[in-house]
Parts: sequence; C-alpha cells; structure tokens
Amino acid sequence: MAATDTTQPKAPSLHELLDMEKMVLSSKIREAQSAAERWMRYLGFPGGIALFLLVYYLPAGAGLSASAQAGAACFALALVWWVTEPFPTYVTSLVLMFLLLVTRTSNAKAIMDVLGMEVIWLNLLAFILSSMLVKTRLAKRMALWLVLRFGHKANWALLAFVILQLALAPLIPATAARCVMTLPLMIVVAAIYGSTQEAPNNFGKNLMLLNLACISVLSSVTMTGSSANLIAVGLIENMGGHRVYYMDWMRVGAPIAIVTMLAMWIIGQKLLFRIKPEDQVPHLEGGLDLVREQYAKMGPFSFAEKKALAIFGVVLFLWMTDVFHMRWFGVEISAPFAALLGAVIVLFPRWGVLQWAEADIPWHLLIFSAGAYAGGLALDGTGAAEWGVRMLFGGMNLRALPFGVAFTVVIAVMMYSHLLTTSKTVRTLIMLPIIITLAKALGWDPLAFALPAALCIDWVVGLPISGKPNVILFSTNQFSVMDNFKYGMVACTLGVVFLVVSAATWFHWLGITPAFWAMPQ
Amino acid sequence: MKILRILSCLILAPLFLGATEIQSYELRLATAPDGSGAAQATLRLTSCTPGQLKFPLGFIQIQELHLLEAPQGARLETGPTNGQMLLHAYLPEGLAPEATLRFSFSIPQAFFVPEPGLGEKSNLPEGSRLFRHAFVNTQEGTIGSYRFELLFPEHTMAQSIREQLPKAKKSEVGPRVLLTKLDGRQAAVLQLSTLKQGDDTSMLLEVVPERKTWGWLLVGLALAAIYLVYFRDLVAPKKA
Repeated sequence: MAATDTTQPKAPSLHELLDMEKMVLSSKIREAQSAAERWMRYLGFPGGIALFLLVYYLPAGAGLSASAQAGAACFALALVWWVTEPFPTYVTSLVLMFLLLVTRTSNAKAIMDVLGMEVIWLNLLAFILSSMLVKTRLAKRMALWLVLRFGHKANWALLAFVILQLALAPLIPATAARCVMTLPLMIVVAAIYGSTQEAPNNFGKNLMLLNLACISVLSSVTMTGSSANLIAVGLIENMGGHRVYYMDWMRVGAPIAIVTMLAMWIIGQKLLFRIKPEDQVPHLEGGLDLVREQYAKMGPFSFAEKKALAIFGVVLFLWMTDVFHMRWFGVEISAPFAALLGAVIVLFPRWGVLQWAEADIPWHLLIFSAGAYAGGLALDGTGAAEWGVRMLFGGMNLRALPFGVAFTVVIAVMMYSHLLTTSKTVRTLIMLPIIITLAKALGWDPLAFALPAALCIDWVVGLPISGKPNVILFSTNQFSVMDNFKYGMVACTLGVVFLVVSAATWFHWLGITPAFWAMPQ
Repeated sequence: MKILRILSCLILAPLFLGATEIQSYELRLATAPDGSGAAQATLRLTSCTPGQLKFPLGFIQIQELHLLEAPQGARLETGPTNGQMLLHAYLPEGLAPEATLRFSFSIPQAFFVPEPGLGEKSNLPEGSRLFRHAFVNTQEGTIGSYRFELLFPEHTMAQSIREQLPKAKKSEVGPRVLLTKLDGRQAAVLQLSTLKQGDDTSMLLEVVPERKTWGWLLVGLALAAIYLVYFRDLVAPKKA
C-alpha cells in the first residue's frame, strides 16, 4: 500500500483531498510528460501551419467553395494544435476564430454568436450547479459513500462509475448534465487514488476517460438517449421507409454500447494506461478506516445539503420530463433553461446556497468550446463537411464489394467522422441521408446500413472537442488530448469491430442485415 | 349552390386538364470574364395542347432570343417583365403529346457589385462579384423539375453560397445548390423538384478569382520559422 511504502512521497491527508472548495478547474497548460510529448508540442506549431497551407493552396476541387476550402484549412490547423498542444487549447480556439474571419470562412457575427449558443449556456449553468454540490459538501458525502461502497480496489471504483453512468443515461438525455452531475465525484475519487490535476496518475486518466466514453456511448443504449438519435430515427423512417421502435433500437444498441464499455473498463487499466499497484488502492494514510471515520464525522445531512439536493432534484426532474413540458406548462423548458432555473435558486440572496464569486466557472473552457463550435459550424455551413463525405464514398467502388465490406467501410466512416465535427446533430443530418441513399444505390435495404450507423452517432469520444462532456472532463487536467485520442480511438475501433461482428451474426438473424458476403444485386 | 359549383368545375376543368405541362425545365448559363452570359434552356413538355404557353424565365433582361428546337410551327416571344421575364410559346395544332422546346438567349451582365449605401462600408473585397438567380413558377401548372446551371467565367470560383432557397427538406439528398465542374469549368447547380404555382427558388453566389494570395504562405512560413527558433528550449536537453 502506498501508505506503507517509504519511497513514495507523503500521501495527502483525507482532509486535504476532500477540501474541494480549494479545487479549481485549471486553465494552465499541462506539463509535457515525456520527451516525445515535448517534441510533439515543438513540432505541432509548424505542423499545424504546414497543414493549413497545404489544404489552403490545394487546387480548387470540384464542388468546394473557396470559403469551404479555407474553413477546412483553418480547422486542420486547429486540430493539429489541439492535439499537440503548443498552446493552451483555448488560445488555439481564439486563433481559429480569428482565422475564420480573416480567411472569409465565416463572418464576425456568426463567429461571435457561438458564445451565445445553448451548449455554452448549459456548460456555464451546469458549472454553477456543480459548484453548489461542492460548496454544500454534498459531493464530498456522495464521493465518500461511493469510495466506501466500491472503492476498496481501483477497478471496482471504476466499474461503479460505469454502472452509475448506465443508470443515468436513459434518465437524462443531456450528456453535459450527466457529466456535471458526476464531475465532483470523479474529482474526489481521483484524488483519493492519488490523482490530482497537479500530479495526475493513470487511475485519474482511466477514471476520466472511462466516464467520458460512458457518458457519450451509453447514450446509444436507447433511441431517446440523445436528440440526434431521434433525428436519425426520423430520417430512417422518412428516407429509408422503416419505422424504428424503441425496442428495435435498444435490442441492437444496448448490447454493443454496454459490451464496449465493459471492454474499455478492462483495456483502459490493463493495456492503455496501466494502473500501478500502489495506485490501485486509496492513497490515504489510515486507509479506508479513515474514510469511514470521515464519513461518520459528516453526520446527518445538513440543511444546506438538503437544499442542494432539492434544487438538484428540481433540475433533474425538469431534465427527465422534457417530453411532458408542453402539456404541463405550454412551453418546453429545455436543458439549459432548467439549469438556469436551478442557478437562479442557487444564487438567490438569503435562500440560495452560493454567491456568484464562489461558483467555479471555467471561462477558458467556454472559450475553447466556442472556438471548436465556430470551426465545426463553419465546416458545416460552407459545405466542406458534406463535400468530404461525398468525396470519400464517391471515391470507393462499393458496388463491387460484398455487403460485409461495404458495411465495414460505412460504419468506420460514420464512427470516425466525429473527429471532424463538433455537433452530433449536424453529423447525423449530413451522414444519415448520404448513407441511406448509398444503401439504396447499392441495392441494399437502407435499414441494414442506417440503423447500425445511427448507433455510432453518440460515440463522440476521440477528442476533447468532440462532445460537451469531453470539454468538461478535459478541464480536470487529468489527461492530455493525445490520451483522449488514444482512448477514444480504441473505443471506436472496438465499436466498429463489435458492429461488424454483429452484422455478420445476430443483426442478420434479426433480419436487419443481409448475409455478410452477399453481393449487390 | 351545389349546381353552381358543379357548373363552375365543368367550365374551368378544361383550362387545367388540357394545359400543356412542363415536365422539366433546364437552363444553362455560361458566363464570360466580362460578365456577359450565353444561355440555353430546354423544356420537356407533356400533355401538349395547341395554343399559348406562358412560362417564366428567371431573368429580367435578355437579348438575342432564338428558338433552337420546337415542334414545327411553334413560335417563341418575350412577354412582359414583372420581377422576372415571361416568355410566350405558341404551340401549333397537331402536336405530339410530348415535345421539347429549346431556345437560347444572351445576358449583357450577369454579375453585380452592390453599391454601399450612404455611410455604409462595402462588404465585398476587390475582385469579388455577386450572382443572383431567382425563379418563380408563375404559370398555372406544376413544373416537374427545375435545374439551373451557372458556369463561372474561366479562372473564377465560388467564394461562398450566400443564399440557397428553399431550404432542403429532410427527404432531399444533397444541398439546394451544388458546386461542381461542368465542361471543365467551375459551376453551380440550383435544383428543385415539383414547383407548384407560386413556388420559388433562388441562389446568391459570391464569385472570386481562383488565384490565391501568397500572403498566407509568407506569414505562415515566417511564423513557423520564428517559433522553431524561439521555442527550441522546449526540446533542449535539460541541464543537470
């Protein structure tokens, strides 16, 4: 155990670890951990510029406008800089926003308006709610309970989070909300296992990245897991002529998502980021007895905790019942507005539990998100994203290939395409119609391609910019962009493999896909 | 009242049932560097009936209208202009039920550069020009499909599509305006199916020279070089 190892630095006390009010989401750039990472940072800057120049000066392709080409060049530069981190990610976002303007990809209003998007508001308000959980010590109580119940060993603590996210996914469609709800728990549990933002370890990486993957991927368990899933269902019905029912989706989506996340639970800690033996148990002098003692010392729920619980309950209730809002209130209270109501109560003088200055709002994160969204919207608005997908599918002669091979190509493109977009909805609207049309053109039932492709919509796990939870979790400084990329790519590749194997077996037995080696008619 | 309705239906029915229908309407405009354009339109007609067929042309001013292909005895004339020009085709007796009408015309200036108003700044850089095409189906019958192809002047390309209407429906695959290459030239294609009376479609494009400034290359290379020199301590071996 770490506590008995004299070569280890002195473990922080439990009191220090749980003093969450002192924890702020850092805006400092992570120190490069290895020589390779230092070289990557050094070469990332000219590398990004080189890629920008290459894409910008390529001969004008048929079907691509000058603004689309410039937008693709800007996004390529930002992507390289976000991954290699020669600058903090939010500085790259600011550079990207400037480049979008001066290359005439977007206009000033379109770029600036991004900061007013629903997703940015949701992030901001969710952080106020998260601060409330910290300030009232509710997060500390939940974290202690979680560690006492499951935290005897690192792997069980990690599995507890998989189960927690699986339970929350069908209840709360907003991934950012799920992330912010569980973020304080993650930070405390990571700290208990010796992973802090100043000195992150592999337990922290596994914890954050497993949660990042679970929050997004487990949204594909049900068709109501995200609004993009419902758009896909609509497209499959309108364009593909197939009605997809709740159970149709769940019986194919749930096993794939759950099995992949369980696989990542093992692969993450055993292969990708091996947890050292000393990090597999809590880093506490006195071990779990101290945790038990601390938990007992907290006593019964305080009034502030009960208030926080009630406020969170109201917000949660509104998040979970959004389908009934029209009937009840005559207006839909969307996720940001539910959080806004919560924030109003939280900040209310005398009755609230928090003052504005006490809320830990990571503005750098919002700027980072804003830049990523501005870039993503520019790729979509200029038609660059759609052009890229068309070129990709058009360049392959899928007609000459058996179903299984064409299926693998389509699923892989759908799965990895999330690296180039920042919105699931936009990606769904671009990809699904193309995939359905492609299936028809090849002579396959559109459902055979479209439903498995729709299951990939929520797998936005490759980069911190790929999804809202990713951005939020990235702010904990527990993992680098490269770590995220590595973990995300393994998860996505596993997803592709499971989907392809499923297409060859039980999807076929369920009548969704034709025989794997069948040739187009 | 019922009898009155039946009577009016009987009187009006031939007007609609007997009208010549436009199955497809294709228009190609090839523009020259000076902004002038040569256009060719092809209308595929079905249920042809003799008489006058009035149909819209998405331009206000045209020159040199020539009929290239039509049933024998058919004539084509320009009609009044109200927002867009109306053409009158006179179809003779003894027509086959299906026919093709093909004609050409020219346009003196296809592009425009908007003049900024008093106290306003121009938002169009030097060398940029705008092209707008709007088409409204003003005739009674439904037009099966409308396709307008714009071939840009040599060595120019679209900077951006500023307007493409109506917004593509979920059931439609592909954008309303598709940028592509036709006859080796950069081109834009506007297409819409099933235009009922009153339906309209339009596009607004910004066209710029293909040639790109070398400024980005110079600035990019300079920044990269400065960074590699001033940040080389990032990879310098650490002193003991």
